[in-house]
Amino acid sequence: MNTPQLITHSLRTLPRHRLRTAFIMLSSFVGAAALTFVLCVGEGARRKMLVTVRQIFGDSAIVVVAGGNQLMGGPRPDAARLTLDDIEDTVRGMPEIELWDPQQTMTVAAKHGNAAATVRLLGQSERSERVWSRSVSRGAYFDAMAVKRLDRVALIGETAARSLFGTGDPIGGEIQIEAVPFTVVGVLERFGTDIHGMDRDNEIVVPISTLMRRLANVDTIAAAKLLLRDARQGEQTAAEFRRRLRSRHALTSGQSDDFRLLTPVEVQRMMGKARSVLSLYLPLAAAVALVVGGIVAATLMLGAVSARIREIGLRRAVGAQPKDIAFQFLVETSVSVFGGGVAGIVGGLLAGQLVASRLQLTGAFSWNAVALALLMSAATALLSGVIPARRAARLLPAEALR
Amino acid sequence: MIELNEIGRTYTRPSGESVQALTGFSLHIGRGELVAIVGASGSGKSTLMNILGLLDRPDSGSYRFHGDDVATLDVAGQARFRNRHVGFVFQAFHLLPKTSALENVELPLLYSDRSPVAGLGRKALEAVGLGDRMQHTPSELSGGQQQRVAIARALVNEPELLLADEPTGNLDPTSAGEILDIFAALNREGKTVVLVTHDVAIAARAHRVIRIERGRLVADDSRESAAATGRTHR
Ligand SMILES: Nc1ncnc2c1ncn2[C@@H]1O[C@H](COP(=O)(O)OP(=O)(O)OP(=O)(O)O)[C@@H](O)[C@H]1O
Ligand SMILES: [Mg+2]
Repeated sequence: MNTPQLITHSLRTLPRHRLRTAFIMLSSFVGAAALTFVLCVGEGARRKMLVTVRQIFGDSAIVVVAGGNQLMGGPRPDAARLTLDDIEDTVRGMPEIELWDPQQTMTVAAKHGNAAATVRLLGQSERSERVWSRSVSRGAYFDAMAVKRLDRVALIGETAARSLFGTGDPIGGEIQIEAVPFTVVGVLERFGTDIHGMDRDNEIVVPISTLMRRLANVDTIAAAKLLLRDARQGEQTAAEFRRRLRSRHALTSGQSDDFRLLTPVEVQRMMGKARSVLSLYLPLAAAVALVVGGIVAATLMLGAVSARIREIGLRRAVGAQPKDIAFQFLVETSVSVFGGGVAGIVGGLLAGQLVASRLQLTGAFSWNAVALALLMSAATALLSGVIPARRAARLLPAEALR
Repeated sequence: MIELNEIGRTYTRPSGESVQALTGFSLHIGRGELVAIVGASGSGKSTLMNILGLLDRPDSGSYRFHGDDVATLDVAGQARFRNRHVGFVFQAFHLLPKTSALENVELPLLYSDRSPVAGLGRKALEAVGLGDRMQHTPSELSGGQQQRVAIARALVNEPELLLADEPTGNLDPTSAGEILDIFAALNREGKTVVLVTHDVAIAARAHRVIRIERGRLVADDSRESAAATGRTHR
């Protein structure tokens, strides 16, 4: 056979079956695009998660969250039991805890002149700057005195500053938080979105005492972060802290904790779980799209082969061998499947980058996605084009031509 | 050139009943003959042609071509045989749609293991008088022209044997006459031509008329005028 001529001949047949070629291309486009998109965004999300978790926990910290065994969900009556004194007394006499910072949060309406914004308000101590490793980019952090005196001072995130002050300088500006006047003394370092997709720059930080007394009128805190002197002591320290806090809350051995401790080990475990969702289940879902695309392509090709059974018979009658027929269909399907597949990969990558930048994920590129999409396309082309064509080519030419 | 001996071909209908399309069929055809095959519908003419062109396999008997047993060739060998030695012309033309006359004619060259020679397709089309229609697609050609494209396709690899199964069955009398003239001319140039026809007038132009009834050869008439060389009779 004259291979180059057979290839050009096969390529020229493609536009003669325009609709079928288009549908095969479309089906492999959709499958490849879905897979690439999911893998790229998933990879971006995984990296983002690692970065955020490191931002929150650093290398050695324990986070105490008020409430029982669940991390998320609705309000619980026992959630109200964690107080500043709880932490302060428990930590006293635990030299392995270097520093700690309490946290209380609420969603508030903030105003500056006519500008208004809904922001997340965080009450923290002056130690927060070190404990959470987030300082100010301009102005100054409030100090221990401010916390003690219930000062009405605020640190403002970039997003909140933009909604309230526009392009103007927020430092020294006066804002109302739930009608209580505050003075802006600093602008928080940029953070971006966290793993939940929340914009951590749409925040205002005030002294926790001010928040508890002047705004929320509560006695309890939501959480506290304890910095450890030695990362390797994480589990022992957590166990000791738990024992002390339980006895302080007078919990008997039958009762479960009314707080939750996030230790480095537990964080690792949670991340592992999240990672398996991102790197296993999401791609699996996308692979289903790819397989469905493949089945569509295979069905179309199967139909095409039986519609072209006479053509196959004729080609055999003028001297084509079964392998020539298979080769022709391989060229035809490869071009349409790979054409669609490559376009899908490019489309998926572009969409992935777009969504990633919207979610403020670092634009991720996954070679796995490309390789997998190409592999699936190849399998589709082979299965859908060559197998039915080979079978048709085994018929006696007289039968195929009838 | 062709020796069929005691060829049998039985088909099984989907209903399970079997049909003997050819029974104990023997026939010798010499180089350069023009043979017409006639017979009622369903008598086995197409079956005979398909076996001659290796489009179908006999169940029994032997088929020798220049002394070689070709019925027992493997699939690849049969494909090569069809490509090199046989040009087949069908009642239904069987041209690739949306494909130019030239590309249709050059189809057998794709599967040929001879080194490609430029201009073979053009030459074949010119030989059937379609040198000015090379880029036309089948839908842009009349029935007679389409059949001439099909003949050019059968000629392009310069086979010794031309097989035509009712080549004029779908054509008006004028076009049919033209097609027949082409076969007659090709035969004069030395091609061996076997054609199936219902048309008595057409059969009258052949040197030799073979009549089939229910899968059996019942008459083999040679005309005096047919003084072709190397011809053998049963
Ligand atoms: N694939 C097949 N399956 C079953 N029966 C078949 C098959 N091919 C041919 N036959 C039967 O074999 C017999 C001979 O058929 P064939 O096509 O050779 O006849 P024919 O002489 O060419 O007829 P026509 O003039 O109508 O073309 C018929 O009875 C036909 O029904
Ligand atoms: Mg017939």
